[in-house]
Amino acid sequence: MLTLSHLRKTYGAHVAVDDLSLHIRAGEVFGLLGPNGAGKSTTVSMAVGLLSPDAGTVDIGGQGAPTQPEVRRLLGVAPQSLAIYEDLSAEENLRFFARMFGLSGAALRTRVDAALALADLQDRRKDAASTFSGGMKRRLNIAAAMVHDPKLLLLDEPTVGVDPQSRNAILERIEAMRAEGRTVIYTTHYMEEAARICDRVAIIDHGKVLAVDTVANLIAAHGGDPLLTVTTSDGPEQIRTRDPVGDLARVAAGRTVLDFRLDRADLEQVFLNLTGRTLRD
Amino acid sequence: MQALLALAGKDLMLLRRNRGHLFFTFVWPLVAALFFGTVFGGGGDDNGKITVRVVDEDQTPASAQLIAAVGRMEGVETTPATREAGLDAVRHSKAAAVVIAPKGYGDAAERLFYGAPPEIELWVDPSRKAEAAMLEGQLMGASMERMQTLFQGGDAAAKQVDRAIADAAGLPDGGDATLVKFLGEVKTFVGGRPPASAAPAPAEAGAAKSGGWEPVSVHRHEVQDETRGPRSGFEVAFPQGVLWGMLGCALGFALSLVTERSRGTLARLRTSPLTRTHVLAGKALACFVALLGVQALLFTIGAVAFRVIPSSVPMLVAGCVSLAAAFVGIMMVVAVLARSEQSAGGLAWAVFLPLSMVGGGMVPLFAMPAWMQAAGNFSPVKWGILALEGAIWRGFTWADMTLPCGILVAVGVLCFSVGARLFARTEA
Repeated sequence: MLTLSHLRKTYGAHVAVDDLSLHIRAGEVFGLLGPNGAGKSTTVSMAVGLLSPDAGTVDIGGQGAPTQPEVRRLLGVAPQSLAIYEDLSAEENLRFFARMFGLSGAALRTRVDAALALADLQDRRKDAASTFSGGMKRRLNIAAAMVHDPKLLLLDEPTVGVDPQSRNAILERIEAMRAEGRTVIYTTHYMEEAARICDRVAIIDHGKVLAVDTVANLIAAHGGDPLLTVTTSDGPEQIRTRDPVGDLARVAAGRTVLDFRLDRADLEQVFLNLTGRTLRD
Repeated sequence: MQALLALAGKDLMLLRRNRGHLFFTFVWPLVAALFFGTVFGGGGDDNGKITVRVVDEDQTPASAQLIAAVGRMEGVETTPATREAGLDAVRHSKAAAVVIAPKGYGDAAERLFYGAPPEIELWVDPSRKAEAAMLEGQLMGASMERMQTLFQGGDAAAKQVDRAIADAAGLPDGGDATLVKFLGEVKTFVGGRPPASAAPAPAEAGAAKSGGWEPVSVHRHEVQDETRGPRSGFEVAFPQGVLWGMLGCALGFALSLVTERSRGTLARLRTSPLTRTHVLAGKALACFVALLGVQALLFTIGAVAFRVIPSSVPMLVAGCVSLAAAFVGIMMVVAVLARSEQSAGGLAWAVFLPLSMVGGGMVPLFAMPAWMQAAGNFSPVKWGILALEGAIWRGFTWADMTLPCGILVAVGVLCFSVGARLFARTEA
C-alpha cells in the first residue's frame, strides 16, 4: 500500500531521516515507534507529500508519489496537532473536509454521518469544536481524516494528551478500522499502544529504521529472555531464562521461596536493547 | 471550483464567528469615518439646510413674492444673487441650487387660467437629484401662494382679474366667452366691479390655449459642480474609513492563514487533492469578497446617512474592486512572511502603519505637505484613497481613474505572485 524507498531529509546539518525504507502492506496496522525527535513525523510528512524528501521515493498504492493530487485522494491524515476549525461545529468541519476531497450531495451526507458515528459525536454534531473536551477534539481530528473514506490512514500520535477513557475509545476505533481491512499507519511513543493494535512495528531512532517486524517477533529477536525474579530466605535473585520452571526449581532447591515473578520482554526492552536507551529518554 | 467556493465559504463563516475580526473589519472603520468626518467639518450645508441662491431678474411684486416664498421653505437657506454669481456658487459647491425668477415672470403670473404660465428656472448639480426634486415640489407649492393672495381679494387682485378678462376676450375667434364669464364671477368673488370693456390681448397670451393652463412652470437645468474639493468632511472620512476597514480585514485574513499553518489545518488541506494554488486562491477569494463587503457597507451607510454620493457609481465600483485586489495581495505577502500569529500582527502593523501614514489613511492627502504627498506615491493606500475620492468628489474621468486603479491592480497581482511563490517555497 505504501512504499518508502531510501528516504532522506536534512535540516541544515541535522539529519532527520536517513536512508529510511519501509513497505506497508494493504490492510495492516503499521506502527512507527520511536522517541520524540526520532524522525516519525518527518517520515509521515514525506509519506503524505507535505515534505519533499532530499532523496528517495514514495509510492502509494502503486499509483505514484503523493505530489499528485489524485494519489492524495487515497490518503487520510490526522496530524499530531488538532487540525480542526474550533469555531466550526463538528458537522461543519467534516462537511468542509469532505468537500475538499470532492464529495457532495448524498455521498457527502452519508460520509459525514459515518464519520460522526465513528467519532461518537452524533449528539454534539451542531456544537462548535471549541466547546469539546480534548478527547472529543482528538476523535474529531481522526474523523476528519476518515470522512472521505481513504484507503490509507496516517495517524500521527493520535492519543497525545487525552485521558485513558478517550485513549481506549480511539484505540478501539483503530481496531475496528483494521477489522474493515483499512491500512493504518500509526506513529506513537507509547509502546503499549503499539503492542495492542499494530500488526507490525518499525522501531525508529535518529531517522533510521532499527527493526521491522511483528511485536512478537521483535520481542523474540531483540527483547532478550524473560526475567525471573525469585525472593528466597536468602534474598531476591534475578535470572534471564528460557526455562523459567527449571530455573525456579533449581533456585528453590534447599531454600524457602517467599515470592517469584516472571517478566517477559516488551517493546520498551526491545528499544532499550536496540538503542541503549529507553523510549522516554 | 466547488472546493474553491467551499474554502472561501469556510473563511467567510469563520470571519462571521470571530467577533474581533468582525469588529475591526466592519465597526471600527465606520467609527473612524464618523469621527474623522465630524472632525473634518461634517456635512457641507450648515444646519443640514440646503443652500440656495435666489435671483430676481423680474423685479416685480410677483417675483418678489416668489423669492420670499422660497426663503420661507423648510430646510432651505437662501441668499440673493445675480444669475452668474448664483451659477458660480453651484459650480464651486457653495450652493446646492439656484432659483431664478426670469424677466416676464410677473407678467405671466398676472394671467389667470389661460396663456403661458410663469416660468421659474431651477439650476442644480446633476448629482443632487434628491435636492432638485424637493426644491421643484416646494416651488410648485410656493406658486400656489400667489393664487391664495388673489382669492383673498383687494384692489391688486381686482386689477389682475380685470386684465385677465381683457386678455380672454381678445383671444382668437372672438375670445373665450366661457372664460370671460368665469373670470367675471372670480372678480365678483374677490370684491371688484363687473367688467366694463375688453382690451386687446397680448401676443403671447393669444398663442396659448386656455384649456392647458397651469399655475407655474419650473424649468430644471443642470449646472455641473466643478469643484475639486470635498463637499463635506464625510467625503474625505469615508474613503479613509474604508481603508482602515481594508487594513483590519486584510490583517484578519493574514492571521487566519498563519493560524491555519500553526494549527495544522493547512497541512490537512495540503494532503487533500487541492493544489497550493487552490488553497491560496480560496483564501484570496474569501478576503476579496470580505473586502468588497466592507466597502459596500461603508459606502451604503455613507450615501444614505451622510450624503457621501459618488459622482460616478461605476467608477466607485472600479475603485473598490482595484483596492480589494491590492489588499488581497498585501494580505498574502504578510501571511506568508509571518511565522506565527504574533509575528503576523507585528509585521502587519509594521507594513500597514507607514503605508497608511504616508498614503493619506490618517491625514487627508490634500492636507499633506508636498514631500509627504510625493512619498505617498509608494503607498497603495494613497492610490486607494485617490481612486475612491476620484469617484466621489474629485470628478475624475475614466482616464484619470486608470492610473490609481492600474497601480492598485498591479500591486495586487505582484504581491499575490510574490506571496504564492514564497508560500510554495516555505511549504516545500
